[in-house]
Amino acid sequence: MTAVTQSARLKRSIAWERVYPYLSILPALLVIALFTIYPFAYAIRTSLFRYILTQPKSHPFVGLRNFIEVIQSYYFANSLRVTAMYTVAAVVSVIVIGFLIALLLNTRMRTAGVLRVLVLLPWSVPAVVSGLLWKWILNSDFGALNGVLYTLGFIKTYIPFLADPNLAKVSIILAHVWKEAPLAAIFFLAGLQLIPNELYEAARMDGGSAWNTLRYVTLPLLRPTLLVVTVYETMVAILTFDEIYVMTGGGPANATALISWFAYAEIFKSLNLGHGLALSIIIALITLVLIILYLRVLRPEESME
Amino acid sequence: MNIFQVRRTLTGVGLNMAALIVIFIIVAPFLWVIIASLQGENELLRKPPSFLPQQPTLDNYNYVFTGTIPTSYEVKGQLRSRISQEARMIAPALKNSFIVASAVTLIDLFLGVLAAYSFARLRLRGKAVFYNFILASRLIPAMAIAIPYYVIIQSLKLLDTYWSLILVYTVLTLPFAIWFLTLYLSNIPRDIEEAALMDGCNRLGALTRVVAPMALPGLVAAAAFAFMSSYNEFLFARFLTQSIKSQTVPVIIASVAGNPDASYTLISVCMTLAIIPPLILAVVMRRWLTQGLSASVTYR
Repeated sequence: MTAVTQSARLKRSIAWERVYPYLSILPALLVIALFTIYPFAYAIRTSLFRYILTQPKSHPFVGLRNFIEVIQSYYFANSLRVTAMYTVAAVVSVIVIGFLIALLLNTRMRTAGVLRVLVLLPWSVPAVVSGLLWKWILNSDFGALNGVLYTLGFIKTYIPFLADPNLAKVSIILAHVWKEAPLAAIFFLAGLQLIPNELYEAARMDGGSAWNTLRYVTLPLLRPTLLVVTVYETMVAILTFDEIYVMTGGGPANATALISWFAYAEIFKSLNLGHGLALSIIIALITLVLIILYLRVLRPEESME
Repeated sequence: MNIFQVRRTLTGVGLNMAALIVIFIIVAPFLWVIIASLQGENELLRKPPSFLPQQPTLDNYNYVFTGTIPTSYEVKGQLRSRISQEARMIAPALKNSFIVASAVTLIDLFLGVLAAYSFARLRLRGKAVFYNFILASRLIPAMAIAIPYYVIIQSLKLLDTYWSLILVYTVLTLPFAIWFLTLYLSNIPRDIEEAALMDGCNRLGALTRVVAPMALPGLVAAAAFAFMSSYNEFLFARFLTQSIKSQTVPVIIASVAGNPDASYTLISVCMTLAIIPPLILAVVMRRWLTQGLSASVTYR
């Protein structure tokens, strides 16, 4: 009797062990799948139809015409240029400044300890707020930067930073770098701390200068970290929306309107879903191509592992 | 002092200066908005502005919480029109943000640990496919799925409710939580939980009684990330919410600040209140956040 129940219990527990892994991932998988596959299919399908919210009754199939129309639109070439400039400037600045901050964080100075406590603050606040903080500083009525420059006698009248096309571009990059560089700094710091001290000592024994140590020891060993930071920051930069929404609204004269801004404008202002989703898909493709490129260029060589 | 010591001292001074400049650039914007929130509107608009408030006042905060109009606005009739009723919505918006972000955090932790443990430890057919699918779901730009999400939420009759945001933020943050926790759990040694399994604990028991306590730092980091991403999200909140019943902090801030006639000092109050929770979280959770971020680039 007891032998029978025991083997039945054993069977049940073996069955449970076999089913459990699938049951455990099922809820997460279901939620994510429902909100990924359907929206994705919907986006692709809608991009092939004329879909304007002010004409709710007619949705003719138009093939790739939405894509052709947005590519030929008055804004596409210019916004592509703005996006490329913004992304390159933002990603390069975030990486360079983030790396320099990481070098500071990696020292034993007391100021570095303070910096370690404060460094993640800009990253932690909503992008809407960090954008507005900089809009406040650059404000042409009461901005602190204008106040400082005026008090020090550098300027006679306040500069409207966000009303000038070029200054507005610099301003949104500034706000973006302020928020994102801390994150890159923490990533680089983690990478730096992985480099064994013996390598630095060996470099010093060989009489390597600080610059040569950086060039031939630190930077090559940071390549895996650099890959992660570059991929992540490129995606964040290309999709920048919140800061632009609160700081410039894409202006002045579309100087700060990235492609993602026009995707928003097509969907929520022109109410042309077909156009908006075609633009979104173009952005997704550009991002994908960039990631593949990065993986090619920056992938750590096998020997490094 | 020989030449090397001089050089080392100079380098030290230079590096300290650099660190102080970075600290100033990080802190100054926060200080400026706090200073602006403590001034009367007419004082703030002086040229140049006073970098330390001449007559610091809590009137603006008093208005936001109680509706008492600050005396400085009554001096000039023209300024009175700049009083923005909308600024008073920041308090309920903070409540909404807290409810939504806390719910997402709890759901993420529960579903995340459940799935991550299996991904890290158990044999599972199609594991790589499921895992990569979950991660790849985050590569789709938000703008592309915004409209479909709206359609789903509308057909579920959830527009302008907490649940709309909780659902969407769970989908947005759960892949990161699963990825992060999977990395974290795979780096915890197996010995102890295997001993528990030998002693007759089942998988779920081993997970809740042995593994979860050991993974606590990772869980704390995952929770902080989920909370912050939900608290900070703007695009989806902007169009899934329609009234103060569910509008979150970023939505209210963008809306108040978007009004060109609104008082700068009142907007500064809203911003100051909005940054307090994430700033406290970032300082208190600093060690876990840093470890968590480090883990995501260094663990393999």
